[in-house]
Amino acid sequence: MSETNYHEDHGALADAPLIELVDVRAAYGTIEVLHGISLSVPQGSVVALLGPNGAGKSTILKVVSGLLQPTAGEVRLAGRVVNGAPADELARLGLCTIPEGRGVFPNLTVRENLWMATMAGVPLADVEEIAYARFPRLGERRKQLAGTMSGGEQQMLSMARALSVNPSVLLLDELSMGLAPLVVANLYEIVAQVSQEGVSILVSEQFARTVLGIAQYAAIVLHGTITRVGTPAELEDELSAAYLGS
Amino acid sequence: MQTFLQYTILGLAIGGSYFIAASGLVVTYTTSGIFNFAQGAIAMLAVFTYWQFRWGWNWPAPLALLMVLGVLAPLLGAALYQVVMKNLRGTSEVTKIIVPIGVMLGFQALATWVWNPTSSTPRQFQKFFGPNAFVHFGSIKVSWHEIIAFVIAIAIAVGIRLLFVRTRSGVAMRAVVDDPELLQLNGGRPERLAMISWAGGSFLAALAGILIQPMIGSAMSAGQLTLLVIDAFAAAMFGRLRSLPRTLAGALVIGLTTTYVIAYFPSKWTWSSSFRNSLPMIFLFIVLIVLPQDRLRGATVLRLRERFRMPSIRTAWIAGLVLMVVVFCLKVIMERTAVNTLTLALTFAIIALSLVLLTGFAGEINLAALSFGAIAVIVVYHFGTTGSGTDARTTLWGILLAAVVTALVGAVIALPALRLRGLYLALATMAFGVFVSRMVLTERNERDIFGLKFTIFTAGQLTIPKPKIGPFDFNSPDAFLFLCAGLFVIIGIGMVYLRHSGYGRRLAAMKDSPAASATLGMSVVRLKLSIFMMSAAIAGIGGVMMAAQIGTVNSDRFDILLSLSLMMITVVGGIGYISGALFAGLFLIAFVQMLDLTLKKFAVDYSSLEAIFLFFVSAVTVLPATIGITMGKNPSGAVSDIVNGLDQIKQSKSLVITLVGLEAAIWALTATDVITNWHFVILTMINLFIVPVIGGKVLLARAMRGVPKPVPPELIGIDRPFTSDDLAEMDRALDLEGVVVPSAGTVREGATGVSA
Ligand SMILES: Nc1ncnc2c1ncn2[C@@H]1O[C@H](COP(=O)(O)OP(=O)(O)OP(=O)(O)O)[C@@H](O)[C@H]1O
Ligand SMILES: [Mg+2]
Repeated sequence: MSETNYHEDHGALADAPLIELVDVRAAYGTIEVLHGISLSVPQGSVVALLGPNGAGKSTILKVVSGLLQPTAGEVRLAGRVVNGAPADELARLGLCTIPEGRGVFPNLTVRENLWMATMAGVPLADVEEIAYARFPRLGERRKQLAGTMSGGEQQMLSMARALSVNPSVLLLDELSMGLAPLVVANLYEIVAQVSQEGVSILVSEQFARTVLGIAQYAAIVLHGTITRVGTPAELEDELSAAYLGS
Repeated sequence: MQTFLQYTILGLAIGGSYFIAASGLVVTYTTSGIFNFAQGAIAMLAVFTYWQFRWGWNWPAPLALLMVLGVLAPLLGAALYQVVMKNLRGTSEVTKIIVPIGVMLGFQALATWVWNPTSSTPRQFQKFFGPNAFVHFGSIKVSWHEIIAFVIAIAIAVGIRLLFVRTRSGVAMRAVVDDPELLQLNGGRPERLAMISWAGGSFLAALAGILIQPMIGSAMSAGQLTLLVIDAFAAAMFGRLRSLPRTLAGALVIGLTTTYVIAYFPSKWTWSSSFRNSLPMIFLFIVLIVLPQDRLRGATVLRLRERFRMPSIRTAWIAGLVLMVVVFCLKVIMERTAVNTLTLALTFAIIALSLVLLTGFAGEINLAALSFGAIAVIVVYHFGTTGSGTDARTTLWGILLAAVVTALVGAVIALPALRLRGLYLALATMAFGVFVSRMVLTERNERDIFGLKFTIFTAGQLTIPKPKIGPFDFNSPDAFLFLCAGLFVIIGIGMVYLRHSGYGRRLAAMKDSPAASATLGMSVVRLKLSIFMMSAAIAGIGGVMMAAQIGTVNSDRFDILLSLSLMMITVVGGIGYISGALFAGLFLIAFVQMLDLTLKKFAVDYSSLEAIFLFFVSAVTVLPATIGITMGKNPSGAVSDIVNGLDQIKQSKSLVITLVGLEAAIWALTATDVITNWHFVILTMINLFIVPVIGGKVLLARAMRGVPKPVPPELIGIDRPFTSDDLAEMDRALDLEGVVVPSAGTVREGATGVSA
C-alpha cells in the first residue's frame, strides 16, 4: 500500500480503525486497574496515551499486545476480535511491541537480539541490514552483550527491531525512559517516519510535548479510565494546566 | 602406570556420564528456572525401563535404546513440564524446590512398586556390547562401554554449545531466562521452548543413567541410583548452573578423583569406600564455599502466591491447651500400638517445627532435618545417658548438649551457603545429609582419634533410652506421649512469641526482601545463621525424641529420602504454620501407617478383593509424593484451606456445635468400645477435614445469596462509602491490629495525596 493511497482513504479508514478497544476492563489478580477503556487508532496514525504514573497506560498496551487478557470488553485488530489470542501469535501477525524500559535481552549479543526479532518472519540478513543502516552504532557492536550497552544504545536496539520486522501495528511504552532529551527527540523523529509509511502506532509517554509533536490524537488516562480524547491542539490547554504543571 | 591409565579412563567415563546428567540440569534450569531434583529419579526410571526391555523382555539393544531414549524419556520430560512444572511460575523458591522433590520421591516409590527390590532373581545390567567387549591399547584394556560414555559426553558438550549459540531455538532458550514476556513479544513461544528443554533434560538424564549403571558395578537399586545422579549436582553447581565448559570440568574432576580413591587408597583403610561415595558431596560443599556471592535480590521475589497468617499469642496458648486435651482424650481410648504411633508422629512434628521455623519464618531451606537428628542422637548415645539396662535414662544435660552440638554443626554447614540464594543452602544441606548417611552413619568400626577410642555408630544401631528430667521419669509410654506433646506445644508457642518479637519481624522483612533489609542495616547473614542454628537444634531435639520412642535406631531412620518427605509434607501442610508441622507428623507417620494397616486388614478380611487392596497398599507409598506434586497449584498448603474453612465456620455457631458434638459422640462410642480405634480415626478424619470444607462451601453459598458481590478493596470508597468496618478489616488483613497510628488526620491526607 502506498502512502498517497492511505491519505486519500483517511476518512473511510478512520471508520475502521486498526486498533480498537471497546469498553475494556483488565485486572491484576483481583485488583481491577482498567475500568472500561474505549479507544481507537486509525491506520497510519500516532495515538499518544498521556497520564500520571500508575494511571494504567502500560496496562492498556499490555492488553493490546496480548500479554494481559481483558476481563471484559473487546480488543479488535484490523476489525477482528483478538481477545484471548496469545502475545506471540499477535507478534507473528505483525504487531510489534517495545515494552517499558526493557526492550532487549541483556545476556544476548546485539546480533542475537536481532535474531530473536526474526521470529516475526523477516530473515536475519534483512533485519541486520535495516538495523545497522539505521543505527550504525549497533553494527559496530554486534558481538557485545546487550546488557552492557548504554541505555540509549539499548533503546536503539529495540527500535531497530520495530523498524526491521515490518509491522503493521507498533506499540511503544515509554521510549524516553532514562534517556537524554536529544536522544528522545531523535527516536520520535524515527517514529514519525515509521507512521508516514502507514504503520499504526499507539504510544505511552511522559515526555508529552515531544510526543504531541508527532501524534494525531492523544488520550488522557486517569485512574484506569480515559477522561479525554482529542487532537493535540484541542488538548493543549488542558494538558498544560493539569498535567504539565506549567 | 597401567593402573593409573586404567583408572583415568574409567574416571573420564564416569565423569562424562556425570556431565551428561548435569548438562540436563543446566538446560532445564536455563529455560524454566527450576532446579530439577528429579533428574536422578528420571535416570533411575530409565535404567529400570531399559533393563525391562533389554533383559526382562529380551528386546535387541538398539530397539530398547530407541524406545527409552528416543521416546519414553523425552515424553516423560515434556509431560512433567506440561503437567507439573509449568504451574510453578510465580511461586516461591521453596515451592520450586519442593515440587521436583515430590516428583523424585514419587518416581522412587513407583520404581519400588513396579520392580520389587526383594525379587528373587537379581537384575543384571550389562555394559554395551556385553561385559567382555574390550579394546586393547598396548597393555591396558578398555571396555567399549567406557569409550562410548566418554565420547558421547564430549559430543553432547559440543552439541549443546552449538545449539545454544548457532541455532535460533537455542538462542531463544537463553532469551527465555532473560525475559519470557519479551520473547513472546518477539513472536517466540517460551512455554514450548521450556517443554522442549525438559524433554531434552529428561533424555540426558536417561542417557546418563544407562551409561553409568554398569560402570558402578553394583546391583540395580532405586534409591542408590536416584542419589547417584545427585553427584552430578556438584558438577552443575561448579558451572553455576550456567557454564557448560565449567560443568564438564567439574564432572571430570569428580569422576577422576572418585576412581583414584578406589585405585590408590590402601585397602586397609576401611573408610575409603564411604569416603569415595561421599566425595561428590564434599566437592559440592567446597564449590559452595568458593562460589562468589550472589547479588542481593529484592524485587524478583515480590508478589508470591503464598500467604501465611500468624496466630496471636493468645490463640497459640489456647491451641496448645486444646492439643494437650485432645492428646489426653485420645490416650484414654487408644490401644497401645496406636499410642506409640501417635507419639512417633509427634516427634516427627517436632522435627517439622524446625522446618517451619527455618523455611516458614525465614525463607531458607534445610533438606536434611533428620541428619541433624542423627547427629543429636549420636551425641546423646555417647554422652547423654545414665544407668544401664532397664534403668537407663537420657539426661536433660544430654539433650541440651545434643541441641548445642547440632546448632554448631548447623552453623558450620550453613555459613558458606548463606551468602548465596536459597537453592544453594538447600543443596548444601542435602550434601550434608547424604554425607552423614554415607560417611558418618556407616562408621561402625572403632577409631583411634588422637588416642581417644571411639565408635560413632556402634554395630549399625544406637539405643536411646527414654528421658528422665529432674524428678520426672518419662519411661512409661503415656508419660512419654505427654512429654512429646508438651514439647511440641512449648516449642510451637515459643515460635509464635519469636515471630511476634522484633527479631521475628526482622526475619519476615528479610524473607520478603533481603536487599531492602541489608540497606536498612540489618546483618542478613547473622540473622540467617542464628535462625538456622535454632532450627538445627530443634531438629536435634526432635531426633532424640524420635530415637527414644523407637528405642533402637539404625541408619535407615535418618535417610535423606525421609528428610525430603518430611520437608515436602510440611510444605503441603503449610510451611508457615505451627499446625503445618503437626499435620506433617500426623500425616507422614500416623495417617500413612493407618491407611497401610487398614488396607492390609481389608485385604485379609475380603480375600476375593485382595489384589485390589494390595494395589492400594502400594499406591499409598506414592501418595505423599503425589500430594507434594500438587503444591504448584496451592502453594499456601492444606492447612491454609482448612483455616479458611474454619474461619467461615467460626461465624456459624450451629456448625461449631455440630462439629464438637459429633466428635464427642465418636469419642464416646470408642471409649465404650462400641467402635474400634480404626473407625474412630476414619470418622474423625471425615468430621474434622471434610465437614468444615463442605460446611464452609454451603455457608458461603448461603451467605452469597442476597448479599451484593464484594467490592474489591481498592474500590471501596469509590463504589461505596468507606466504613469503620472496612478499616478494621484492612487492619486485620495487614496485621496492623494494635499498631498505634500517630494521628488519623495526617494518615488520611497522605493517602489521598498519593492517589491524586
Ligand atoms: N504486574 C502487576 N501486578 C499488580 N498490579 C500491577 C501490575 N502492573 C501494574 N500494576 C498496577 O496497575 C496500575 C496501572 O499500572 P500501569 O503500569 O499500567 O501504569 P502506567 O500508567 O503505565 O504508569 P507509569 O507512567 O508509571 O508507567 C498501577 O496501580 C500498578 O500498581
Ligand atoms: Mg507505564
